[in-house]
Amino acid sequence: MGDAQLFIDGAWVNAQSGETFPTYAPSTGEKIADVAKAGREDARRAVEAARKAFDDGPWSKMSGRERASKLRAAAEIINGRSAEIAEIEARDGGGTIKKAMFADVPGAVSTFQAFADCAENEPDVIERGESPFPPAKSIVRREPFGVCSGIVPWNFPFLMAGWKIGPAIAAGNCVVLKPASFTSLSAIEMVKVLAEADIPPGVVNLITGPGGSAGEELAQHPLVDKVAFTGSTEVGRRIMQLASGTVKKVTLELGGKSANIVLDDADLDLAAAGVLWGTFFHNGQVCESGTRALVSRKIYDEFVGLLVERAAKIVIGDNMDMATDLGPLVAPSQVDTTERYVKLGLDEGAKLLCGGTKPTNLAAGLDQSAYFLPTIFEADNSMKIAREEIFGPVLCVIPFNSDDEAIKIANDSIYGLGGGVWSKNLERAHSVAASMRTGTVWINDYHMITPTQPFGGYKQSGIGRELGDYGYNEYRQIKHVWQNTATDRSGYVHFSALSGNI
Amino acid sequence: MIVTGTIAAERVVEQAGRDRRGTLVFTIGTGCCESTAPFLYEDFWPGPDSEPVGEVAGVVVFAPAYLRALYPGDDGVVIDVEHGLMAESMSIETEYGCRFVLRDRANVLIDRRAQPAREVPESVSALRARGLQELPEALRRGPEPPPTSVTRQSPNSASDVDSGF
Repeated sequence: MGDAQLFIDGAWVNAQSGETFPTYAPSTGEKIADVAKAGREDARRAVEAARKAFDDGPWSKMSGRERASKLRAAAEIINGRSAEIAEIEARDGGGTIKKAMFADVPGAVSTFQAFADCAENEPDVIERGESPFPPAKSIVRREPFGVCSGIVPWNFPFLMAGWKIGPAIAAGNCVVLKPASFTSLSAIEMVKVLAEADIPPGVVNLITGPGGSAGEELAQHPLVDKVAFTGSTEVGRRIMQLASGTVKKVTLELGGKSANIVLDDADLDLAAAGVLWGTFFHNGQVCESGTRALVSRKIYDEFVGLLVERAAKIVIGDNMDMATDLGPLVAPSQVDTTERYVKLGLDEGAKLLCGGTKPTNLAAGLDQSAYFLPTIFEADNSMKIAREEIFGPVLCVIPFNSDDEAIKIANDSIYGLGGGVWSKNLERAHSVAASMRTGTVWINDYHMITPTQPFGGYKQSGIGRELGDYGYNEYRQIKHVWQNTATDRSGYVHFSALSGNI
Repeated sequence: MIVTGTIAAERVVEQAGRDRRGTLVFTIGTGCCESTAPFLYEDFWPGPDSEPVGEVAGVVVFAPAYLRALYPGDDGVVIDVEHGLMAESMSIETEYGCRFVLRDRANVLIDRRAQPAREVPESVSALRARGLQELPEALRRGPEPPPTSVTRQSPNSASDVDSGF
């Protein structure tokens, strides 16, 4: 892979400082590229380019249908390059090639298609009815905000880039995107695709580099109208504060410690697989992972036995091999964090059921310091490992006695992002789902996020929603146009609230 | 909860103190890609339920109530710094190509306090020119930061230190 540059106003450029930073393949520790390290000045140039493109360029004035055709073209190009992009994504981020092939790349394709549908079908002008006195009619216009900055994490870099760029440009905005420093390469590919799809210069700009400078600038620059961020809760709070300087619209998708509730009438075979899928997919490096499995005491022993037995069957190895289920974590530092929590769990008296260490039988050439075994604890909801988001392959199993107790434990968290309920009784499952204070609940499933339905968090898991028409409309202003339809003074009696003499 | 910092962390904080003109604040928060981690921010409001739990190089460390409840005594939480790591946080030190991390003081396997402090090159700091965000002259808190060979006296610097490290 070659060196990676910034994309500003339709041109690939180095950082103004000329500096770069390395990006590594987590599985081997091998450096795979030097990436341009943007500073504040680069971020400002990108914002100014986006502003100019929005104010003076054709994009914001195009019809939704025209914009949709460009998004569909981008989706087609991604489809055509899916194997190549999946390889870049997996190699840079450490996720399995299976994840990249089945989730990341097709997910981005369907995201662009879904927002193309929104651009075509969501009305820009809505007649809101007439007022009898004074005689008037009201119209609501949905208009793009202007310049939107998007800051995305390293766990699903290509998909998240699509979640930020897709709705923004579909609605007529211009964008500056900053990927996480661990994973810049697939975002670069996405920008190449969008340029190939004939999206005009300045509409999509890319800044790679540290959040402390470039990211801060994207969150606070006066010419930015909206900031969208996916990542840590504390960073979300920082972004809100920076954005408050010029009262920007902010949408945030933040952390979670989601509960996956297994009721006593669940299909235990499916639920066991579902709890493992809900926790260990991508090594638990997923914000809505079901890292707390709440299990009815009536089926507890049998269910936990299934979990432990099946966790041992998860294949760990080279993430570029289609036979591998789990590759490395994103970096050895993430393994350090996971190890630290395993120790904290043991110190607090949690019972380690499996895992808890790095694997010892990895193939030669793989970096053992970046791997960790799927780990299952029997825990109490008051423990650190049950309350803090670890972002590693650690599942806490917590028993409960009644549906009410399960709901209480599930909601006893500062977060409210995702959750699951497993039951054969759908009425009962829906009742539990209705009581969970989270933005998404899956019944008899987990992790299923679709670009046509809203995704986001309650409580400290975020503000606003992404995806679907809800997500699309987060990128559109609401303008009320009042038109007085009177032709003489009879329709203006309200002026007398000031004076009858004017 | 009692939080301390390693020498390496102190040096990075001191560098940030020289580069930034606002008040530096450490906040410990949880969630998503960073797990529970320290974040160094300039002019940051820690939040209504946050309270000081320590300091590193004169910079106060805040933690919210739910975390203080989880770590009620001195659990040996140490702020350290890992080089070559930026992740996705907007913490100030990412500008220097490093990241503050939490370590367990008692666990020698992951305690990196013995790790030699690495220099943060002056050349990588682009923070001195604040450009568009610069306050009007009349509203500035104090004089321009002095040349890097002398550390300004501020609440962010526990003591004078030499340039670079």
